Amino acid sequence: MAEKKRTQVDDIDRSMYDFRYDDADAEKLDAGLTPDIVREISERKGEPEWMLEHRLKSLEVYNSIDMSDWGPSIDGLDMDNIVTYVKPPTEQKSDWESVPDNIKDTFDRLGIPQAERSYLAGVGAQYDSELVYHSMQESAAKMGIVYSGIEEALHGEYAELIRSKFMTLIPPTDHKFAALHGAVWSGGSFVYVPRGVRLDYPLQSYFRLNAKGAGQFEHTLIIVEDDADLHFIEGCSAPKYNVANLHAGAVELFVGKRAHLRYSTIENWSKNMYNLNTKRCRCEEEGEIEWISGSFGSHVGYLYPMSILAGRKARASFTGITFAGRGQNLDTGCKVVLAAPGTSASVETKGISKDGGIQTFRSSVVATPAANGSRCTVSCQSLMLDDRSRSDTIPAMDIRCKNVDIGHEATIGRIGDDKVFYLMSRGVSEEEAKAMIVNGFAEPISKELPLEYAVEMNNLIKLEMEGAIG
Amino acid sequence: MQTSAVTIGRASAMPAPTWHFLNMNDTVIEVPAGLAISPSVKVSEPYSAKGAADEFENALADAQEAWEQDHPAPTAEELATREEFLAAEADATYGGTAQSAYQVVADAIEESRSLAVAFEHGVGDEAAAYLRYAAGERVVVQADPGKQVDAQVVVAAVPGTVSAAAIDVIADAGSSVNLSIVVEADADASGQAPQPEGITGTTVRVFADDGAQVSITRTQALDEGFTDIDDTGLFAADDARIDVRQTILGGSATFTGLAGDLRGDSSRIDVDTRYLGHSDRKLDLNYSLRHHGPKSRCNLQANGVLAGRASKTLRGTIDLVRGCKGAEGAENETVLLVDEGVHNKTVPVILCNEDDVAGNHGATIGHIRDEQLFYLTSRGLSQEAAERMFVAAIVEQAAIDAPDEAAKDAVVRLGERLAPGFAELFEEGV
Repeated sequence: MAEKKRTQVDDIDRSMYDFRYDDADAEKLDAGLTPDIVREISERKGEPEWMLEHRLKSLEVYNSIDMSDWGPSIDGLDMDNIVTYVKPPTEQKSDWESVPDNIKDTFDRLGIPQAERSYLAGVGAQYDSELVYHSMQESAAKMGIVYSGIEEALHGEYAELIRSKFMTLIPPTDHKFAALHGAVWSGGSFVYVPRGVRLDYPLQSYFRLNAKGAGQFEHTLIIVEDDADLHFIEGCSAPKYNVANLHAGAVELFVGKRAHLRYSTIENWSKNMYNLNTKRCRCEEEGEIEWISGSFGSHVGYLYPMSILAGRKARASFTGITFAGRGQNLDTGCKVVLAAPGTSASVETKGISKDGGIQTFRSSVVATPAANGSRCTVSCQSLMLDDRSRSDTIPAMDIRCKNVDIGHEATIGRIGDDKVFYLMSRGVSEEEAKAMIVNGFAEPISKELPLEYAVEMNNLIKLEMEGAIG
Repeated sequence: MQTSAVTIGRASAMPAPTWHFLNMNDTVIEVPAGLAISPSVKVSEPYSAKGAADEFENALADAQEAWEQDHPAPTAEELATREEFLAAEADATYGGTAQSAYQVVADAIEESRSLAVAFEHGVGDEAAAYLRYAAGERVVVQADPGKQVDAQVVVAAVPGTVSAAAIDVIADAGSSVNLSIVVEADADASGQAPQPEGITGTTVRVFADDGAQVSITRTQALDEGFTDIDDTGLFAADDARIDVRQTILGGSATFTGLAGDLRGDSSRIDVDTRYLGHSDRKLDLNYSLRHHGPKSRCNLQANGVLAGRASKTLRGTIDLVRGCKGAEGAENETVLLVDEGVHNKTVPVILCNEDDVAGNHGATIGHIRDEQLFYLTSRGLSQEAAERMFVAAIVEQAAIDAPDEAAKDAVVRLGERLAPGFAELFEEGV
């Protein structure tokens, strides 16, 4: 019998992301992490005193706690070699033409200005440690929406609001890289959607890490007031270098009563990136958070967006896909806290691993004693495309309330011969059948993505049909 | 002989840990000071007493030899090619895939090519060693090829003592072993006030050779005040089948751990656990089933009721190791939460290093369904009475399913203490 050939699933084509410009003009601080470096970052930004104190305390925390022992190894990341602050040779612009050519070209090639013209209400672009471009359509501004760099907002009318929220959802004591973020954070966006305002078009921030051996530590703070509605899109990429880069951003989201926030992310960092990002959302009464998350890039990924359902009948949904290829260990998932009566959450994730890649789904669902009448369902499916790869599922549930309904289901396997046979018996070719099955596997996620991201994702998991999977 | 306090840390550790804030990765077993090491263990006759204490080690060594014949070690040339491949991968992928610590450990176990290294105790080596020390001489149950052996071990809980048994089961090719373990309150000491304090425990190793069938039922019906440690390690060769049923009803704290190596082709392990948590009971359950054999099967079912202020942690891991083509692992848990004060933790894990497999798990955690409650309350039962029915049902079912009189008596005695009149009602029902 002729040996069956496995279907080849292409690696993600990163050529569109894998270009870089010389960073000789950029201002860099020394590599490593010391109180002096932290002070210098704060001084350059002209920050209020409380922020400097916050940074220094965070650094103390960073030095006092250990790295987690349960996730992918970060031995390849030497903090002494990471440059925590790289300032591009420009100030933040709101006029695209004023942005320096090489930076402009970078974002042009990534399609950011085009996206802004076609369907976005506002765009922010961060290059290394600083925002280089921020703009918002006039109509959105007239609605009272604020979309700006968080650093400039620290000096404006929302300074006190930011101070009252900043790193309250993600305290520096949460884990080692939250502490690191607290010490050296730079750049990021501040969004404020006033009460009752509903924005029909998304806002988007794009993060580009160009400098070699650098870290990016942007902080995103979004406040959606009662009865308001927002869709926020986050994208990220970097060129590939032969040394480790680090991304340790933080995203803090506050969703008011009856408000709604959709937060979509396509993470496509290069394969030398350690992506240790933290995202957290607090929802008040009948508020809703929807996470759409695609993880494709990075050498190592730790990413678990957390939803804290603090108000009655608050809701959360998490829809995610992770694709781990050669040389990647992507440990992703989510956390849910049901902390009020009548809350509900649903989690649906898909994982694909191939070519020696490791994909892990990790989750926690915690129902506090206050979660009377709450419910949560978690569904997780993993597809193995060869026997050199690995796919692990580690879902935890901690239930401290009697009147809850918690369901969990997970499956791991390859494409079943019976499914291929079924489709073939209905006149579909073998190649088409397999393509249909893999596309169908990813479809619940891709249908939730903005169109151009969905197209990109379909390209990412494009199949070269040849023989049988498995 | 009275002992000093013993703390067994990192007991029942799950192979792939998760966030520490959840406090689920492992547990700590505290043995208080001043207990006497005094096994109160009765072993039924007939059982084959011919087995020597090292029978299990010998069987595993023989299995090692047979396994190595079927799975020859890689040649120097193959090793060199692999090293070359890994080096090229490391160059091409920034040092190679950055494995998690547990993945490195799992690979090291496989690379050792040692069945003894891969053999695990569910509660951990330290707890198993403690129980072995407390038990003294091992009970060895051996079935010759093609023969059937039935055995029963009764461990009585005696206040102020550590009462433990160490049991080895060696089922030769094509044989069948039925082992019933009953862990019961000491009838004389029952109802003593204040609550008696003591430890009971068993550490069981099972070797099921080609085509052997082993069935183990363990019924635990202890009084409050006792801590029970239930440690099991299983090895299944080609076409071997091991069924384990655990019924956990009493005691103040229970630590149950089961680890299984599905080494043989088409080997199978089924675990059916039923538990009742009530009062301030603490239950800690850890299962780890590792598939090596092609077409091996495992099925882990856990069903229980939590009432009062009981807390329960269940770690269930199915590990599909590279090479176990055609294997299927399934895991399912249903928990009924009856009272406000209960605390339930569950972490059903699947680790998968092989594509041609099926791994499934599911968990349902909740209260009595509205339609069930409506049906019962419409027939005049209060909600509380309806919920108590579910608790009583667990005990009643355990008594009905008891493999022998000793197990049934222990369950009925516990039922009577939990709900006076239970014994009479049960006898009428039967």
